Amino acid sequence: MTPASSPRSAGYWRLRRWIDNLAFAAVLVVLLAPVLFVFFWVVSLSLKFDIDNTAYPPIFVPPTPTLDNFRRLFADTPFALYFWNSLLVSGGATLAALLLGVPAGYGIAKSKAHGLAVLMLISRMTPGLSYLIPLFTLFQILGLLGTLWPIAITHLVITLPIVVYVMIGYFETLPPELEEAARIDGCSVWQAFRYVALPLARPGIVVGAILSFIYSWNNFVFGAVFAGRTTRTMPVAVYNMLTFEQFAWGPLAAAAIVVMLPVLFLTVLIQREIVGGLTAGGVKGA
Amino acid sequence: MATLELSSVRKSFGATNVIHGIDLAIAHGEFCVFVGPSGCGKSTLLRMIAGLESVSGGEVRIDGKRVNELGASERGLAMVFQSYALYPHMSVRKNLSFGLENVRMPQAEIDRRVAEAARMLRLEPYLERRPGALSGGQRQRVAIGRAVVREPKIFLFDEPLSNLDAELRVRMRAELGALHERIGNTMIYVTHDQVEAMTLADRIAVLRDGRCEQFAAPLELYNAPANEFVAGFIGSPRMNFLKGTLAAAGAGDASVALAVGGEVHATGLTAAGAKRPTAGEPVTLGVRPEHLQLVAPGAGQADMKVDLTEQLGGESYIYGSLAEGATLVVRLAGQTRIERGQSVGVDFAGSSSLHLFDGEGKALARRTA
Repeated sequence: MTPASSPRSAGYWRLRRWIDNLAFAAVLVVLLAPVLFVFFWVVSLSLKFDIDNTAYPPIFVPPTPTLDNFRRLFADTPFALYFWNSLLVSGGATLAALLLGVPAGYGIAKSKAHGLAVLMLISRMTPGLSYLIPLFTLFQILGLLGTLWPIAITHLVITLPIVVYVMIGYFETLPPELEEAARIDGCSVWQAFRYVALPLARPGIVVGAILSFIYSWNNFVFGAVFAGRTTRTMPVAVYNMLTFEQFAWGPLAAAAIVVMLPVLFLTVLIQREIVGGLTAGGVKGA
Repeated sequence: MATLELSSVRKSFGATNVIHGIDLAIAHGEFCVFVGPSGCGKSTLLRMIAGLESVSGGEVRIDGKRVNELGASERGLAMVFQSYALYPHMSVRKNLSFGLENVRMPQAEIDRRVAEAARMLRLEPYLERRPGALSGGQRQRVAIGRAVVREPKIFLFDEPLSNLDAELRVRMRAELGALHERIGNTMIYVTHDQVEAMTLADRIAVLRDGRCEQFAAPLELYNAPANEFVAGFIGSPRMNFLKGTLAAAGAGDASVALAVGGEVHATGLTAAGAKRPTAGEPVTLGVRPEHLQLVAPGAGQADMKVDLTEQLGGESYIYGSLAEGATLVVRLAGQTRIERGQSVGVDFAGSSSLHLFDGEGKALARRTA
C-alpha cells in the first residue's frame, strides 16, 4: 500500500509559509516605496539645516536634527493664522455637510432614491475651475470676498457628497424593522430618525466627518481662487511659500509636515471607527 | 380591548395584487392566527393592520373606526417582530420604556409598567443590559415586554417564535398562551406553523395567495375544512386525497369510483356546501391518516404496497403507493409490525371521517368522527 501523495514534513510547510510572507513583504515595499520615500524625504528635509538639503551624496538622516525650520515657519510667516483659517474652513464645511448630509443620506437610503445620489455626485465630477469664475463674480457682488465664507461654502462641494454617500451606505444596512418598531412605539418619522437611526449610524457619521474633513483640508483650488492675503488656507500658503521664498526647502517641508499631521492623526483614528459596529444584537444573527 | 374589522381589504404593489379582498371580523379579546404557506400575504396583511403598509382598497376598522389613513404611531397597537427589532443602543429598560416616553407618560407610571412587565416576563435581572448581551429567548421576551407595557388595544405578532430553537419555541408558545389568558387583549398572530396556529388560536384564518380560504375555530378547520387546500394544510401528516368520479349520490350516501380502481360507498354523509353532489362529476376523496384502517389484502377498497414505515414509539406512520402513482399515509396508534414491501388492504368506507371535494376543490359532503 502506497499513499496517494506523500505527506510533506512540518518543516517544509514552515519554510513555505516563511517564503510566502517574505514575498508578500517584498511586494508591499515595492508598491509603497514611492509614497514612503517622499514622506521620509519631507520629514528629513524639515529636520535638516539648509546646507544639508542639497548636499551630494544626499544626507538621508540628519546627523544633528533641528527644529529650526518649524521655528522659522511660525516666526517669519503667519502660518498659525493659516492653520486657523484651514481649521475654520474645513471644520465649518464639515459641520454644515453633516447637518445637511446626514438627513439627506437617510432620506435617500430610505426612499431608495439612488438617482438623487448620482445627481449629488455630478457636482463633484464637474471640474471645480469651470464654475469658480462665475462663483467669484457672485461672491464679489455679495461682498464676501476677503472673508473665509466663499472658501467654506465652496468646500461644501467636497464635503457634502462624501457625507451623503457614506451615510447612504450606513443607513441602508440598518434593518428597516428597527424604524418600524419605533413608528409602532409612537415615533414620528423625525423621531425615529433622531432616536433610533441616528445613534446607530454614529460610526458612519464619524467616518463621513473625518473623510470630508481630510478632503477639504487638502483642497487647494478653491482656496487659491478665493483666498486673500489673510484668508489663505494651508495648502495655498504652502504654494505661496514655494513662489516667494524660492528654494527654502526646510520651511517648506516643515509646512508640509504641519499640513499633514492632522490628516495623519485623523486617518489613524478613522481606522478604529470603521471597524466598530453598533447594530449587534438588535435583530437576529446580527 | 378592541375589535378589528377588515372589509374587502386589498393590497397591490404596482401592478401586482398581493391581497385580493379579505373580510374578517375579530372580536374583543380574541386570539386570531393568520396561517398559510410562504408568500400567501399573511405578513403583508398584518403590516397593513399595523399601519406599516398602506391599504390599496377596502377598509380597516379598529373599534368600528376607520384607520386606513392613520399612521402606525396613531393606531394604538403593539407589534412583535420576527427579528425582535430591539433597539440595540438602548438597555432593556430603555427598550421597554421608549414607547411610553414617546407619549409623555408620567415617569412613575412608566416605572410601574416596566417593573410589572419585567416581573411577568422574568426580565428583572437583565434590565440594565443591552440586547446584544441577551440570549434569543431573552430577546424574544424583551420584544414581547415592549408590546405589553404599551397596554395596546391589539397585539400583533409576526412569526415571533420562528427564530427560536424547537424546545424554546414550545415553551414560549405556552407562555404566549398564558399571557393572552392573563391580559385578555385582542391578539393577531402570524405564523406558517400549523401547530402554533392550532394550539394558540381561538380562530384561525387560513390564507392562500392573498385570499382567506377559511376563518374558523381550530377544530372546525380540522373537522370541516371548507376546501381541499384547508384540508391539506391543517393536519400533519396531511390529509390523503384520491381522485375519482361520483358514481351515485343520494341524500346521505355516495359512491365514488376511485381512479386507482375500486369503489368506495360511503354512508352517513352530510352536505358541506350549498351545492348538491351530482352523479358523474369528478370528485376528490379526502381522508386523514388517522382515520384510515388497514385490513388484509383484498378486504378493503384498495390494496397498497408499503414504501416506508416510521415508528415513533407511541404511533406509527405507514407510507404506501397505490396504482398510478397515488400514495397514501396511514397513522396507526402504537407500534406496528408492518414492513416495507408488504402489501396491505385499505378500508375507506369503514373510516370514521370522510371528505368529498368537487372538481374545484370545494367541500361537497363529509362524515366526521
